[in-house]
Amino acid sequence: MAQKPAARKTNPSGGVLPQVLWKKTGGSYLLTNDAGHYAWLKEKDFAAITAGRLAETGPLFAELASKGFIRDRLDFNDLAAKWKKKNAYLNYGPGLHILVLTLRCNHKCLYCQSAAAGLGAAYTDMSLATARKSVDFALNSPAMGITLEFQGGEPLLNWKALKGTVEYARKKAKTRGKDLKLALVSNFSLMDAEKAGFLLANEISICTSLDGPKDLHNKNRIFTGGNSHGETLKWLKYFQKKHAAQSPDYRVFKPGALLTVSKYSLSRHREIIDEYARAGLEDIFIRPLAPIGYARNLWDTIGYEAKDFAVFYLKSLDYILKLNRQGVVIREKTAAMMLDKIINFQDPGYLDARCPCGAAIGQIAYNYNGDLYTCDEGRMVGWAGDDLFKIGNVFRDAYKKVMSNGVTRVCVVSSNLEAQPACARCAYKPYCGVCPVYNYATQGSLWGNMPSNDRCGLFKGIFETLFALLKKPGNAAILKRWAGK
Amino acid sequence: MKGRTKGTKAQRHRGTEAQRHKGTKEMVLDSGVYCAEAVRLAAFVFSDKAGIKVAPRGGTSTAVINGPDAERLAGEFMNEVLNQQCRLDLAKKNSKIAGIIVTRALLSAAGEKAKG
Repeated sequence: MAQKPAARKTNPSGGVLPQVLWKKTGGSYLLTNDAGHYAWLKEKDFAAITAGRLAETGPLFAELASKGFIRDRLDFNDLAAKWKKKNAYLNYGPGLHILVLTLRCNHKCLYCQSAAAGLGAAYTDMSLATARKSVDFALNSPAMGITLEFQGGEPLLNWKALKGTVEYARKKAKTRGKDLKLALVSNFSLMDAEKAGFLLANEISICTSLDGPKDLHNKNRIFTGGNSHGETLKWLKYFQKKHAAQSPDYRVFKPGALLTVSKYSLSRHREIIDEYARAGLEDIFIRPLAPIGYARNLWDTIGYEAKDFAVFYLKSLDYILKLNRQGVVIREKTAAMMLDKIINFQDPGYLDARCPCGAAIGQIAYNYNGDLYTCDEGRMVGWAGDDLFKIGNVFRDAYKKVMSNGVTRVCVVSSNLEAQPACARCAYKPYCGVCPVYNYATQGSLWGNMPSNDRCGLFKGIFETLFALLKKPGNAAILKRWAGK
Repeated sequence: MKGRTKGTKAQRHRGTEAQRHKGTKEMVLDSGVYCAEAVRLAAFVFSDKAGIKVAPRGGTSTAVINGPDAERLAGEFMNEVLNQQCRLDLAKKNSKIAGIIVTRALLSAAGEKAKG
């Protein structure tokens, strides 16, 4: 009896997709899953797989099976390991501890969200006793790696407390067996050789603000005591030289800079990026202004539409990639952190884009008076008169009490993407995160409303661009280098 | 989602607007579409925006809004009811994984060990 020719082998049972997230972009479908895998499908292949008609013998089936997109070919060990790696932060406590050493500042930046106090407001200086108590509190976190970040205002205005805190923290961390990292965010206007020497000898990483070319920087960052741009570049160069030379006695970190995009920046992406490249900075962190704290009241004057920032961001990314192709080493930090999740299945420590977000469980902000906030943005809301995000005080509250209080819990619950209707089905969920403080400040609710949320719109735009860029081999090679750094 | 009346949600909403006074608006919500819990949660969210009274009535819930711009508030209230209903529907599907993530995050941060 003649045999029937074998039917083309399809996968009717396993063809039905397991729990996946998908998004149609142009004529293609982007598939993602909770492990962090992604795959692109043509429309006909998407239709075939959802109907259980995808041939098992083809390379596409093999690719989808290896990534956990075929129901009866799931490698649970691999998928679980990837999920665990990507969400490793769920097993630690807060690692970032932001000490606001003073609210005083000698700059009057247009956008200052923390609404810095004048130079005479010495009552907003953190005392050494409060700083020490804050260090003790921070070291109670179960996280083995603790970063103390000194912020302000301008933290160098409270040099005595900074110096005393560094010495105390180094000693205490050693006895507690913690891996302590120290960081300073300064405008450099009060930097001198003695302070720089102390910072270097104590292995403090240093970050400043650079908003672009001289005229733009000085327009945004008003400093009546001199040339803010000049001081910034002078000390950046100083620390870069020290980093290049290193020291036999201590590690010298490469200095970094933060960009804040004002409405005056929106038309000048090339000049800003060129300025960073000229200054030898290999990272540019393009952050939008957020209508949080006092900035909310100034929004009509200093704010801009989210779509305008999105255009600025995408043009910037395009230009940075062009520079990369010309051999210039520079990367955009938000993209690099998202890519680390997409490509390497790991958490880059970006507390704003976690599920749940880093509020309280990933970071704590310590105000000058010892008040504790879920994060620096939460502190800014508090400084503007609404203490919703206050979670305690270093003198009055024990660490465990702070971690279990209602504000901490509600921030964790409200930033859990599995409980957010729009997010739970979003193809970018495995890499994204929401911010309860932003939601509260802009939409009046910790949960927010994602379809009309500007931050959500911006993140979606960034993800859409990154995934589109990853499709092109030339761009993908560059982006993989960004994620690998 | 089961509905007792036919048509889109917007049509059902328009079709059940029973009363319209200046500063007062009454809405009748089909319980097959919006459960009583979603209506109560939305009323709670709205409690600092306007006076609102909700009550079950047969297979429906009624909500009466009092405020200076009741028409607009009623629209916002209906959006919030929909929002809460979506959350409740999602919770039915995702509450286990959502609970695991929240529990692990909070216990780890407090220095306690989570099971599993």
